Amino acid sequence: MIRTVFLAAGGALAILLLVSASAQRPEPTVHGVFDGDTMYTLLPPDAIPAVRNPEYVTGVEADRQMSADEPVIGVTAGDDAVCWSTWHLDHHEIVNDRLDGSAIAATW
Amino acid sequence: MVYARDIGDTTLTLIVSGKLWRNSLIMMDEETGTLWSHVLGEGIEGPLAGRKLASVPSVQTTWAAWQAAHPGTRVLKKSEEIRSSRYESYFQESDRAGIFRTFWLQDRLSAKTLVHGLVVGPHAVAVVDSALGPGAERLVEVGDATVTVTRAGDGGVRAFTAGGVEIQVRTAFWFAWSGFYPNTTIAD
Repeated sequence: MIRTVFLAAGGALAILLLVSASAQRPEPTVHGVFDGDTMYTLLPPDAIPAVRNPEYVTGVEADRQMSADEPVIGVTAGDDAVCWSTWHLDHHEIVNDRLDGSAIAATW
Repeated sequence: MVYARDIGDTTLTLIVSGKLWRNSLIMMDEETGTLWSHVLGEGIEGPLAGRKLASVPSVQTTWAAWQAAHPGTRVLKKSEEIRSSRYESYFQESDRAGIFRTFWLQDRLSAKTLVHGLVVGPHAVAVVDSALGPGAERLVEVGDATVTVTRAGDGGVRAFTAGGVEIQVRTAFWFAWSGFYPNTTIAD
């Protein structure tokens, strides 16, 4: 069965988690209002580290680090197929990657 | 979401800005400092405001289903043991939606109904996950366009225009989807 635990706001949760875990408990500040909705600043840039130089394992090797029901985001192009675990993405939010020669980013 | 990160001749390096908008991630590129919405793929503030990153159609599924369909897949290497979501408790609370007080359409679906969102021009449709069984294929009207939505063998939901061009499926909870696309219709 496919577990239905996906959320467009994954990145939002990671930021809130880090804020609530930090000793200073920084207060959100209002950055501005865009298209009618407020943008808040909670952390300095890169406090949650995006992956800039991703390393990969094969599917067989990955079996040791993955659970069968672990949610993944996957893409294919030509002969290339790549996936990122959303449990793993919780820690990074963004992976700067390449697919079939093109620069791509997986975002969570 | 997956995006191409080239704008003109510049390849962007996207990082986490530390800002939130509409309860979702705002990214920043290191090259220009532009702030980008991860949901819209659009520059919100900065030199590239108004520009759009091209979507790369992706699917959300499970590791077992993905590996069975794509045995040659590569997988991002974990540098430490990660065996669960950081947000398990959040997902189990059905009535807790956004972080900040947020707008969504409460009267149409419950907040954490999983939907697969389609956008064609100004039109948006949310296809309810439970309406797509294994191997499902259905036609969905998105404005004037007819889009074929399928549950592929790898468990992921994909969408194609009448011309056979794959378009992005944005899998999200209803509260997040309807906050971005309040004019959305629902296919269930």
